[in-house]
Amino acid sequence: MTSCLPNYRCIVPSLFYYAHLLKRGSFLILVLLGMCSSLAAQVPVTGRVTSGDSAVANATVRVKNESIAVQTDINGAFSILASSAATLIISHVSFISKEVKVTGNAINIELEPSAAQAMNEVVIVGYGTQKKSDVTGAVASVDKKRLENLPNTNFAQALQASVPGLSIDQNSGGAEGNNNTIRIRGRNSITAGTSPLIILDGVPYGGSISDINPSDIESINVLKDASSAAIYGSRGANGVIILTTKKGSRGEPVISYDGFYGIQDISNLPRALTAEEYYQYKITREPNSITTSEQAVYDSKIFPDWVDLVTRQGSKMQHTLGVNGGGGKFRYYVSGTYLDVKGVAVNDDFKRLSTRINLEANIKKWLTLGSNTQLSHNDRSGLPATFADYQGAFRFNPLTTAFNADGSPTIYPWPQDLFFPNPLAPTLANNTDETYKIITNNYLNVEIPFINGLSYRINTGIEFTTRAQNTYFGTNTRTGLQAKGDLTITNSTNKNILIENIVNYNRSFGIHSFSFTGLYSLQTETGRTDNLDATGFPNDVLTFYQANVASSIRPSAGYTKESLLSQMARLNYAYDSKYLLTFTVRRDGFSGFGANNKYAIFPSVAAAWNISSEDFMNDSKVITNLKLRASYGSNGNQAVSAYNTLARLSTRSFVDGATTMPGYIPTSLGNPDLKWETTVGFNAGIDFSLYNGRIQGSLDGYSKRTHDLLLSREISSVHGVSRVLQNIGKTSNKGLELGVNSINIQTANFVWSTNLSISGNRNSIEDVYGDGKSDTLNQYFIGHPIDVNYSYKYGGVWQLTDDLAKAPAGTKAGFAKVVDVNGDGRITPSADRMIIGSRQPNFIYGIGNSFTYKKFSLYAFLQGVQGTSRVNALISDNVQNGVRNNTFYKNYWTPTNPTNEYYANVLGANIFGANIYESDSYARLKDLSLSYNFSSTILSRFKVTRLKIYANARNLLTITNWTGLDPELNSQEDIPLQKEFILGLNISL
Amino acid sequence: MKLYSKLLLYAISAMLFAGCSKDILNENAPSIILADNLYKNKVGFEAGLNGLYYEVRRSRSGYTAGDINGMMLVPAYIGTDNAYGNYLGPASSFNIWGVSNNSTLGEYRLEWAWLYETINAANTIITRAENTEVVWTEAEKNIVLAEARAIRAWCYRHLTYSWGDVPLILTESSGSDIRTDFDRTPVAEVRNAMEADWLFAERYLPEISANQGKILKGAVQHFLAELYLATAKNDKARDYALKVTTNPNYKLVTARYGANAAKPGTPFTDIFLEGNSNRIQGNTEALWVMQAELNVIGGEPDNVMRRYWVNRYYSLVVGGKSPFLVSADNGGRGIGRFGPTKWALSIYPAGDDRGSDFAWRFSYVINNPGGVPAGYVLGQTYNLDRTSNEKANNPNWPSTRKWDYASPVDPNIDRAYNDQVYIRAAETYLLLAEAYLKLGDQGNAAMAINALRTRAHAPTITSSEVTLDFILDERSRELFSEEERRYTLVRTGKFVERVRLYNVLSKATISDRDALLPIPQNVIDANLTKKMPQNPGY
Repeated sequence: MTSCLPNYRCIVPSLFYYAHLLKRGSFLILVLLGMCSSLAAQVPVTGRVTSGDSAVANATVRVKNESIAVQTDINGAFSILASSAATLIISHVSFISKEVKVTGNAINIELEPSAAQAMNEVVIVGYGTQKKSDVTGAVASVDKKRLENLPNTNFAQALQASVPGLSIDQNSGGAEGNNNTIRIRGRNSITAGTSPLIILDGVPYGGSISDINPSDIESINVLKDASSAAIYGSRGANGVIILTTKKGSRGEPVISYDGFYGIQDISNLPRALTAEEYYQYKITREPNSITTSEQAVYDSKIFPDWVDLVTRQGSKMQHTLGVNGGGGKFRYYVSGTYLDVKGVAVNDDFKRLSTRINLEANIKKWLTLGSNTQLSHNDRSGLPATFADYQGAFRFNPLTTAFNADGSPTIYPWPQDLFFPNPLAPTLANNTDETYKIITNNYLNVEIPFINGLSYRINTGIEFTTRAQNTYFGTNTRTGLQAKGDLTITNSTNKNILIENIVNYNRSFGIHSFSFTGLYSLQTETGRTDNLDATGFPNDVLTFYQANVASSIRPSAGYTKESLLSQMARLNYAYDSKYLLTFTVRRDGFSGFGANNKYAIFPSVAAAWNISSEDFMNDSKVITNLKLRASYGSNGNQAVSAYNTLARLSTRSFVDGATTMPGYIPTSLGNPDLKWETTVGFNAGIDFSLYNGRIQGSLDGYSKRTHDLLLSREISSVHGVSRVLQNIGKTSNKGLELGVNSINIQTANFVWSTNLSISGNRNSIEDVYGDGKSDTLNQYFIGHPIDVNYSYKYGGVWQLTDDLAKAPAGTKAGFAKVVDVNGDGRITPSADRMIIGSRQPNFIYGIGNSFTYKKFSLYAFLQGVQGTSRVNALISDNVQNGVRNNTFYKNYWTPTNPTNEYYANVLGANIFGANIYESDSYARLKDLSLSYNFSSTILSRFKVTRLKIYANARNLLTITNWTGLDPELNSQEDIPLQKEFILGLNISL
Repeated sequence: MKLYSKLLLYAISAMLFAGCSKDILNENAPSIILADNLYKNKVGFEAGLNGLYYEVRRSRSGYTAGDINGMMLVPAYIGTDNAYGNYLGPASSFNIWGVSNNSTLGEYRLEWAWLYETINAANTIITRAENTEVVWTEAEKNIVLAEARAIRAWCYRHLTYSWGDVPLILTESSGSDIRTDFDRTPVAEVRNAMEADWLFAERYLPEISANQGKILKGAVQHFLAELYLATAKNDKARDYALKVTTNPNYKLVTARYGANAAKPGTPFTDIFLEGNSNRIQGNTEALWVMQAELNVIGGEPDNVMRRYWVNRYYSLVVGGKSPFLVSADNGGRGIGRFGPTKWALSIYPAGDDRGSDFAWRFSYVINNPGGVPAGYVLGQTYNLDRTSNEKANNPNWPSTRKWDYASPVDPNIDRAYNDQVYIRAAETYLLLAEAYLKLGDQGNAAMAINALRTRAHAPTITSSEVTLDFILDERSRELFSEEERRYTLVRTGKFVERVRLYNVLSKATISDRDALLPIPQNVIDANLTKKMPQNPGY
């Protein structure tokens, strides 16, 4: 107590007591933790300084024009004596200083990060960290607002549209939502994988994205250019996403609870024909095709609404309890999270229970030991109802019966067409699907004695996953009835082990500074799968526990092993912190490649110039920071799985009487020359910070060329095999990216800030087979993007007034018209098919706007894709012969409705199968959140340091011309995308 | 101290950049069969042959291995004079031909790919059999080569009848030699290779085998006879056909036998009953039988013959009711994709077993207690309407009973698990008749035909009645849905003529070009460096 400053009075002695325990006699800590107020004859003003959701400790709070000053404690709290009309000045090295008028005796102050903070911010760049001001490559960080208080089931949902140049498309709906296409800077590869490498706490991660608890993630950095990704060499060509989990911070232990609960609803449903419309449609299309059972349903006027039966109002909830703290030599972050999602599809559930223990101990001055460990259990049990394809709910014949008299789902909803099982059948199956996973990263860091700046780090990663799936279809389903019970058991284990030896050497000589990183590593990934299919059971009682009594048992097993052996060296040089150079080279050896090409080398170089550090920039009032960057280098893509270079045979067994005769035939061709595909890229960028950090951003331009594509190429089936994997072809990607953060308005009570990311990429196939010729078969067209729409051009409908003599043979009025592109009077595949747009967007964007008024914050995140088109499968009458399926509402041609929109409801009306394309560009209000932060003065009475409540609406609004289910989803008749509404709470003690 | 630090630095450098272990990157694939591991001895080559038999069986299966959707040989069976696409719909390419019969049809792409996949599988065996390191005897090698070459020629038989000139590939494909310049080898040259393969096979294959699924010497002699007819070597055709018809091992079934011998039936239809197909079960005329076995690995043929040929009687509405339920007695659950033309039903003389109720489903017994129409009683026989012409999506239409099958597990099951006779000596008699006719010996031709007619209790014919058209009619009577009808008609130059005469749905739109199918567009498109000519008219 005696060490309190003379004219300050301590008002929370208990805090001093804790501080005392932590660091006895330390003046500094006492000041840090002290909540003090002036003794002068003035009003005591208390308050809290925050930035975003975190408290700002160590900020100086000063009364303007007076000498009275205090510092905030670890919780950002302060108390100061000031006159009622006084102005407080709050300053901190990392934040923009702010002046606030005293109103009342409790005040909360929100600070915005300064440019200095941004530039001193440490960025994780792989195999180490760098100050942002020293970074030479294109490295982007995800806005923290995307990681907090949002209903993210996985980190990809946080990343979507939040980093310029990174595109994420959710391919399918469902509770888990883990089917995403993630691409950084366009698509390099035609058929090989284009997913970026994911690094979790320094370890390349190979598992499912939904196995990582997103609420444990502290930061996400994205390495985009050749130089920054070059440290990951053969796997860097598609970019790198670096996830870093939360670490303990030194100071008072903080206990926190974060939780939310919400509901999910279908965001959009396409309009299928009603039962009455379907009846008419069917009669028109194929007279006499109505069966007696359909007629009976029609006459009864009791129609099942199949889509309604297979969907529901879903829910999502998550609870996270965490403790975070640490002393001088020890830091810890421990959390447990339970997530429970019930999707909008009946029986589509996802549950995840995960715990994380992150520890770091400074054992000796020269020795640090750490561990980042997650244990998790994912439960995907239960099969959702069938949505897609002929047997799915979306196109299910409405003239059918969903339930028996006793309320159980029918086995054959259409008794006269036994092809159709009840779409609800999977919900009757006994199914469990559980995954247990350990992800643990352990490291030891040794500061080598006697050599200043030299350290050695051994970094290990173990990812161990077991998944057990059991399914039994009983005789109350079509599958089970026809097989007398159908059992499938799949057990898989996956083991991913990494050992890295890393040497770091950092030295400065005057104004020259060097840092060197060397790496030698080995990563192996092994997978083993055991599968058992069995059918024919005496009864359903023992579900999937009765394989021993099956009349047919078919086991199978699979095993793969991949190894990657790597060396990497990186050298950074800085001259006076103004001129920066980075050289990187990585050599990788990968088992999956052909015997003749196991190794490859990927070099890169980058340079940067901190212009604002130059003397001539000192006087600039506008520019706070300005940096130019340029990089050039090559990266690889090793998207080949094990054994792909070997000529493999497939099992084709025969039988002699009742004896199995094992048989095999060749179904793939070997390629001992197969190797990495290589992307050589140039990047130029500028980082800027204006008006003392109120506007910050980066602008990057890049050009990449990829050669030796890993092309799974369709070849003439005369080979006996129709596909082969080769290193053949070239692509290019060019693009521009802009990311800007700005504080648009800042007053005492109101702040409006914006986070914008926008990027455009131009993708083009440069060459396919080395002869400069396009490949029509595979639809690879030189000078065009990889995924073009290629078809006959739909030209409307043959009208009664048209001269049908000029139409192709068999054409009648009402048939689809195909544009005769070359005008030869015939429709031929070689001359009349053409490119009609592509799936590649012109640009993608995300805009987050945050409005803070006093304790309220409103956050809106808008995200969009512009310039794509594709076939909408819903606008074709895919009903099978005999009209066995329902279809979606269309403006059909009839003699009295001479439209060109859609041809007549007549069999064979689209002779050439011309596709109708639609724009699937969209803009989506992805998140809209409102939050309220309770005043710390109120909270302190309850010993609570922080309390925030919030509400969020996800996928509230989508603007698009697309008429299908959703422009983002691949299948337009599978589980729909959901809207979510959640209410949440953060509380810290 | 300085020395110490230097040593440490060296030690770390050595650890970091030491020569890498090469072995760790070499792939050992313990769970995968590779050609290099398999074809090392007799057992390995036999496994390769089993794969070939699986591929042959796919001719009566779905488009893709393990699937029952589609049917591999659709164009070989329907769109002919005696069969059409019933539940393929009126707009099916094989009913209406015209522009809808074009090179982009999936049927052609998939069938072509399957045949060349099988050829490559055979070529792999044939190429690697010459490897001197293989551990086996000369006799073992020759029998393996005989089976592989017989099946390779069988693939080219499908290809040449369907497409005419096709690339002739006789060696194993390699990933380091991807070709984009295939030529279409003239049919005559392809047939020379087929002849060589079958002559080799004929020398080494046994006449009979304990393994009921093996291709026998008789089957190869049969194919040789057909090949010689196609190449107008009629005397050789006669000689090879006689090798079958005079072989006591291959004598025609003339008496009741097997599973239902005591129940009403005919010798002819006994051949097609479950449990009667194999030689060991009494079917002496069987030359090649496709094998299946329920609940045995390798026994799942994905066979769709019943699915495709048995009609949708359960969809038949009588007086607003559905009187018929799927049952084993009704032949199991078909989906009626294929059906006989009215002409095919009209050609049987009175008393011909092959046109009897045992061979055809002309009526059904009402078996749905909840669907008895007014004026009928449960168990009453309802006769199908055979008076109208064939039309699409018609459940009220007869179907052949040759492929009847219902699984004991569930009559609704998609797949069939019965062994099915594929080539039988009866067909060889008809090849023999054709050879005699072409050699001007109508007397012997009539005798060959009468061997079948006698067995079927049909009136015998006189030599003056034998014409090529009569033989084609007789083939339909005897072999309906068994023979690849298109091939027979194309071989005899009668395809378009007879479709115009007898197929109501196709007669107006079929044209001469339809006698050869269009080369699949993906095969033409993949031939990047050399233009592969399309068949004329497409």
